[in-house]
Amino acid sequence: MLPLPSFQYEAPTDVVEASRLLSEPGSQLIAGGTDLLVSMKHRLFEPRLLVSARRLGLRGISEHAGWLEIGAATTLHDVARHPTVLARLPALAAACRTVATPTIQTMATLGGNLMLDTRCMYYNQPAGWRATLGYCLKREGTVCHVAPKGRGCYATHSADTVPALWLMGAEAEFSSARGVRRVAVSSMYREDGIAWLRLERDEVLTRVFVPLDTRRVVHRKLRTRQAIDYAQVLVAVAGPVSPGGTWTAVISSVSSSPILVEAASAAELSEAAFRACQPLSTHLAPATWRKKMVRVEVARAAALIG
Amino acid sequence: MPDEIVLTLTVNGDKHRRLIPASRTLLDFLREDLGLTGSKHGCDVGDCGACTVRVGGVPRLACITLAAEVDGEEVQTIEGIGAAEAPLVAAFDKHVASQCGYCTPGIILSLSHLFEQDPAADDAAIRETLGSNICRCTGYTKILAAAREVAARGGQTR
Amino acid sequence: MSENDNRPAWATYPTHTGEPAEGGVLGRRDAKIDGRARIVGAAVFTDDLKLPRMVFGKFVRSTQAHARIVAVDVSAALALPGVVGFATGAELPKKYGVIPVAQDETAMAIGKVRYIGEPIVCIAAVDEETAHRAARAVRVTYEPLTPVLTIEQALDPKMPHIHEASRKPSNILRRVFQEYGDVDAGFAASDLVIEDVYEYPGSTHVPLEAHVALANPEPDGKLTLWSSTQNPHYVHRDVAHVLGMREQDVRLIKPAIGAGYGGKCDPFCTDIVAGHLARKLGRPVKISLEREEVFYAHRGRHPTRMWLKMGFKRDGSITAIDFKAWADGGAYASYGVVTSYYLGVFMPLPYRLENYRFESHRLYTNKPPCGPKRGHGAVQPRLALEMHIDRAALQLGLDPAGMRKANCIEAGSETCNGLKVTSVGMRECIDAVVAASGYAERHGRLGPGRGLGLAASAYMCGALHPVYQNELSQSSVQLKVDRSGEVTLFSGTADCGQGSIHMLAALCAERLGIEPADVRVIEGDTALTPVDLGSYSSRVTFMAGNACISASDRVRERLASAVAAKLGVESSALSFRGRRVFVTSEPERGVSFVDAVWLAEEMIGPIGEVGGYKPHKIGSRFRRQSVGPSPAYSFTAQVAEVSVDPETGIVTIDKIWVAHDCGRAINRTIVEGQIEGCVYMGVGEALYEEQRYRGAMMTSPSLLEYKIPTVHETPEIETFIIETHDPNGPFGAKEAGEGPQLSTVPAIANALYDATGVWFRQPPFTPDRVLAALSRKVT
Repeated sequence: MLPLPSFQYEAPTDVVEASRLLSEPGSQLIAGGTDLLVSMKHRLFEPRLLVSARRLGLRGISEHAGWLEIGAATTLHDVARHPTVLARLPALAAACRTVATPTIQTMATLGGNLMLDTRCMYYNQPAGWRATLGYCLKREGTVCHVAPKGRGCYATHSADTVPALWLMGAEAEFSSARGVRRVAVSSMYREDGIAWLRLERDEVLTRVFVPLDTRRVVHRKLRTRQAIDYAQVLVAVAGPVSPGGTWTAVISSVSSSPILVEAASAAELSEAAFRACQPLSTHLAPATWRKKMVRVEVARAAALIG
Repeated sequence: MPDEIVLTLTVNGDKHRRLIPASRTLLDFLREDLGLTGSKHGCDVGDCGACTVRVGGVPRLACITLAAEVDGEEVQTIEGIGAAEAPLVAAFDKHVASQCGYCTPGIILSLSHLFEQDPAADDAAIRETLGSNICRCTGYTKILAAAREVAARGGQTR
Repeated sequence: MSENDNRPAWATYPTHTGEPAEGGVLGRRDAKIDGRARIVGAAVFTDDLKLPRMVFGKFVRSTQAHARIVAVDVSAALALPGVVGFATGAELPKKYGVIPVAQDETAMAIGKVRYIGEPIVCIAAVDEETAHRAARAVRVTYEPLTPVLTIEQALDPKMPHIHEASRKPSNILRRVFQEYGDVDAGFAASDLVIEDVYEYPGSTHVPLEAHVALANPEPDGKLTLWSSTQNPHYVHRDVAHVLGMREQDVRLIKPAIGAGYGGKCDPFCTDIVAGHLARKLGRPVKISLEREEVFYAHRGRHPTRMWLKMGFKRDGSITAIDFKAWADGGAYASYGVVTSYYLGVFMPLPYRLENYRFESHRLYTNKPPCGPKRGHGAVQPRLALEMHIDRAALQLGLDPAGMRKANCIEAGSETCNGLKVTSVGMRECIDAVVAASGYAERHGRLGPGRGLGLAASAYMCGALHPVYQNELSQSSVQLKVDRSGEVTLFSGTADCGQGSIHMLAALCAERLGIEPADVRVIEGDTALTPVDLGSYSSRVTFMAGNACISASDRVRERLASAVAAKLGVESSALSFRGRRVFVTSEPERGVSFVDAVWLAEEMIGPIGEVGGYKPHKIGSRFRRQSVGPSPAYSFTAQVAEVSVDPETGIVTIDKIWVAHDCGRAINRTIVEGQIEGCVYMGVGEALYEEQRYRGAMMTSPSLLEYKIPTVHETPEIETFIIETHDPNGPFGAKEAGEGPQLSTVPAIANALYDATGVWFRQPPFTPDRVLAALSRKVT
């Protein structure tokens, strides 16, 4: 068996206390743990302290003034089956249901998915494998094996729910001992495989707000197997608000941050997406094929909007 | 700060209180501390489903669940199945849906949750559920046959 | 019985071929006698075992593909609290391996490493986390050598030898060359010659249970070893050999196995090092491989480059085959010598062929060792052969199904390379899948992006000759009959999930007129069970089944003689059925099975019998043909229906129809399960699975990135059982666990041609490859 490294564990009951614990070096928040514990078994993280989110009261879904408020620790399973989500935000339900497997959806949280670490075939590997490789820029090493002559880390943003939430205009609430801030999901990420998240270390993602008057969004996830797998290409597409308006796509799993593309028509949208996305060899599936698939997936999503 | 915790857990109806390392997974707690070895190490990183147990009725992968994270909960393992799962076990047995049997306990627990939610689950729901569990032996044909039979009977008793 | 039968007296017995199921058990759809235990998690696997004072071993593995080991520093590891000891390769210098002529492996590397992931040192600690941490603290210093990574490099005499002792000019483990008939004349007489190159990728077994061993040093100096092995007998021999112990002082127990598919046929480092450390430390040692390590233990399908040239007459008959194969075998021999033969010897099946030549090379490279994966060595060439057949049919304007049937060999014939074929259900298999799939009406007519493909194949039922030469039993079964009526069956077999426990119980029950559940099967324990060579080469039903019938018939004779005396009839007048022994012509006259046991025990004494199986020698025309001949051959035909998405290149397998001639189904449900399991693995090899490398590093040693199909990727499978009652099989049974593996990938490849007009000669048929081929075709 593959053991976990040892660590200390706290399960605080309020966010301020959690934030205080997280402000200390070597501490790490755990929610569903479905990605974190795997990464810890692979020694990508060896935190001194795990701060549990389970007693923070962050589970549950409610409606306020045209917004759906989803507690960050609500599981993907619960999000996907909530009547309002199913009725008003079907692309979010669909996105939740494409994450890994149904069992993982009962464990993994929406907040955890928004905070999902970037991924790469040279990074998400067991410790011994990475040692043999000589590690990589993202963790313990000095070279990016995807782009050895490049300037940075190209690990890909791979969170299944984010493209749809982005297009829906969703917002995320972060709390810390220093206060509360609310930001658009679209502003959470940046194009850096290592520092991919705009976040202070003591901040806790507490709630996700989704406007209920959102445009119709279609989510598509291209993957080898219809369970277990992460995306090879992940897209969400929204049609124009009014006739003649702008078509919008958010594409993920092709770079360290989701990519927003806008165009005047569905046909132009898929071409624009094809031009905008430059996937690299972060996945076993060839980058050239994944780039072509951006065009196909965006076009198919747009066709579903009609 | 402690790197050990006191865990209180009800497993298959029996209450346990143990001092364990914080890093102990639920799977190792069940297997090593309680001797409940029906839940298996398959991949150890959440890909295969051989470690599936139910926590508060909901399927979870015990290999990537900290025991600490389910403190106070009720856990059901394959050793704790009873009358509710009897039709499923009988159908698996009849259809020889278990070849080597390494994945089977996890599949029984995944499906028992499905049929608890929907005794007459349709094919799409059965297949979606089985997506959580890898079986390398059967090609799933006999597993599907067994699950369909249980669903058909569930439909009749409605 | 065969006219040239020369078996010893103990191995002669009736096989009851084609007899009606007197006991009423054969051909039923019983649940397995060990089914419930597996379903409810009560079956005990090696990793479920725990002993007092047990410690855990963890391997330090090579980070170099090919290098001298300059220094190993374990001091930091030993300094960790909880670390209790370690073992190095040098402590276990004896080489071992199942194939006596190619024993090139040591339990851990000595002096040099030959692949990334090769074990070097094993650290023992009181818990797994400490052992894992300690293993990571070991420092190994290497002096790198040039790695040999490809077929070209392995054939290059300028490259360094991976095994220095080798006297071959390059990194060749074994070259096999065989020629039958006049191949050149065959080509000269042909109307059509097709010649092409195929690349078959490496793939691996992925049993869900990792390799695990638990060793306990006994107070008397003996050793008990529990191992998740398919071949208890070979592990028993090799562990004793390497540890310098007498075989009788090692007890090898095989608990329930979480499958193998060929991946647990070798003795592994887990077995030998656990045994060694247990003796060294004087306490129980368990070693459970991590999933990543299972990929390094490997022994999977050989990546194979193949060149195939076939000559055909206008009527579709085959005039000659010339075949060359190069198998990239990894760093150690494993079963590679056998692989080198299996690549070629089955090509003359199932189509008539007089002129045949093959040359194969099994090569060493600096990668984890390949070995026997389900359909061992025969899967790769079958792709080439079956695609060639379809290509010829297309060019000759023949129906691929009709052409296959017209060329099919007959029962009672002998192939050009001396394989004696006793029963053939090939035509019936083709008819079944052609009819069910509508192949005749639909092949070539489904329109763009959709296709149907047919393929056929044949496979062995165990090897005629044991891997180490002897005249002993290859399978043995011992029966003990209790006064309660319970029959305990002892067998050295290893049920890996294929159902061999139930098979033995069913055959015994059939002969004794009782129910399978009345038979308790104890298997795979060298202290209790007579030798069986193991679960490989699809040999268990045929060989252990015959041994079981032999033992059962001896018990039956004893019971019959006692009951006959009591009833005043001849033994031959009695039947055994429904837990009764009765006069066949007067069924009401008889006794219960329990009473029969009591009568026999009163008359003869306690009831226990042993039966063995050894195939009769087949008088082959070719003395050198020691690998390939089998007592019988199974046959399979499959039709695959596929859809291809022209924009993505994604292939979907909509359905597979499969018919398999298993001789006779002892349990129909279990036979179907074996066939369907083969098809499933074929689907994986066709579309998803490939052991990929970045240089010498496996890119995907995980279940996330080595993509075995889930339920969603597994097509509907419709299965047909064809029964031909082989004259030498137990009640006519042959095999079902490997044969169907051969024709799945070629059926899919032929369907892909039907859908796209492209011959895909390199699995897996991944979307990027398919899309690239489609775009080349358009432009």
